[in-house]
Amino acid sequence: MPTSPVVDVERLNVTYGDFQAVKDLSLRVERGEFYALLGTNGAGKTSTLEVVEGHRRAASGTVRIFGERPQDRRAVRPRMGIMLQESGFSPDLTVRESVGLIGALSGRTDDVDRVLDVSGLTHKAGTRVAQLSGGEKRRLDFATAVYGGPELVILDEPTTGLDIQSRDSLWAAVDRLRDNGSTIVLTTHYLEEAQQRADRIGLMHEGTLHREGTVAELTQTLPSVISFALPDGAPEPPIVGALNGAFHVETFNLQEDLHRLLGWAHDTGVELQQLAAGPTRLDDVFRALDAG
Amino acid sequence: MFEIARSELIQIFRNRLVLVTGLIIPVAVSGFFVYQHEIFSDLGSLGYVAAIVLFSVTAFGLYTTAVTTLAARRQDLFLKRLRSTAASDPSILTGLVLPVTVIALIQVVAILIVLGVVSTSPAEIPLLVVAILATMAMMVALALATAGLTNSPEHAQVTTLPVSLAVIAVASWVGISGTENLAYVKRLLPGGAATELVMNAWDGGVSLADSLPLLIPTVAWVVLAVALAGRLFRWELRR
Repeated sequence: MPTSPVVDVERLNVTYGDFQAVKDLSLRVERGEFYALLGTNGAGKTSTLEVVEGHRRAASGTVRIFGERPQDRRAVRPRMGIMLQESGFSPDLTVRESVGLIGALSGRTDDVDRVLDVSGLTHKAGTRVAQLSGGEKRRLDFATAVYGGPELVILDEPTTGLDIQSRDSLWAAVDRLRDNGSTIVLTTHYLEEAQQRADRIGLMHEGTLHREGTVAELTQTLPSVISFALPDGAPEPPIVGALNGAFHVETFNLQEDLHRLLGWAHDTGVELQQLAAGPTRLDDVFRALDAG
Repeated sequence: MFEIARSELIQIFRNRLVLVTGLIIPVAVSGFFVYQHEIFSDLGSLGYVAAIVLFSVTAFGLYTTAVTTLAARRQDLFLKRLRSTAASDPSILTGLVLPVTVIALIQVVAILIVLGVVSTSPAEIPLLVVAILATMAMMVALALATAGLTNSPEHAQVTTLPVSLAVIAVASWVGISGTENLAYVKRLLPGGAATELVMNAWDGGVSLADSLPLLIPTVAWVVLAVALAGRLFRWELRR
């Protein structure tokens, strides 16, 4: 029996005065899924998330979280943790007080010390928010989002400003949430984070959801690249694609073409210089999207 | 709601600026009026001194601090954070203004008890209680409306001045000149009817039937301010 989606957005439009930030956007996030919403600056990601979070009203379209309106906080919030893009904590409260307050209001139950530990903030428990660094504030934000292990966690640029150790521990905590069945919705500018973790990715550009799918589905529409140079006097290689004296070959059949090239080099005794080959990355899809 | 109120109370006592401007200065001003009550009662009556104490605390303590608090919480995105929880909008607002309201109530009651001890006790204590509660409701409602026009805590220093000065001026006008002339105008102005009600409760000599209708303008100000707040109040900074 099919289950209803955790997040269900249907023909969403968001406007600010005359400016249309989100145009006719539809997406679904299924239970237990890790969905990454990516896009260029001003693509409409945050506007979309704000409607999903219930912080902003749509000009038109419908949004349902667990089948409920996002503005119905009493029904939705106990099942949903939100990591906002900007911190939003009172500077005069301590870390422990902030987590305790927001946790108590979330409608979920948890142990504040456990959450501080998960977020790497135990040693800062008694520090006032005003004295935290930017990265520590992000971790505090994360702590309130994961308090009580919500069924849905929305992470808006979660690793911005975090050092590598903090990022690793944050993703480890997210992995544990996923193991417990939580659904994750992520926006980030670090594409490799989405590429490594997301089950599906939605690519937004200028307010619309241009493409959506798994990493493999998104990258297979663009060719992989093999590049190399040849010494003077070398014979013509079996694949074509010269570019300013070097070879830059685009291929949809990376393994076979690379095998053919290496076999040719071996057979002819030619040394391939500056050889590089790799699959299409999400960055390439992104650049292609931005280039129109 | 009580979790938010508790956190607000912690913040009030940790923020020296709020503590001094919102809590200590109104008490100091009120203390001056109580200390000089004979001079001020000669201008109007003891009821006038009680009214001016009430408005000093509620205007410079309750009203100004509430507006500043709401603007600061919005600027810090704390309001947005609170709305990311299961707390409803009314419970968030109530939690934010509850501590400063309770503190102001305690201040008013304490100062008026001192006034009663050093002079004469109020004639109609229940009516005085009603007048105090109605005035505080009006000032909280005006704070919610004013917060909608206030972009930052610094901006609150400007936006709170008109109402603060107006209620003190109206209280003095009504207290010193009475309501024999321009009665309707004086009673319709913010704080006018409340001042008269406090004076009637403290000085006595006016029947309950004549005093109770004075609640209507104050309640009307509450309704008007809440309606304005509903239109003006913003939870986030403008984009």
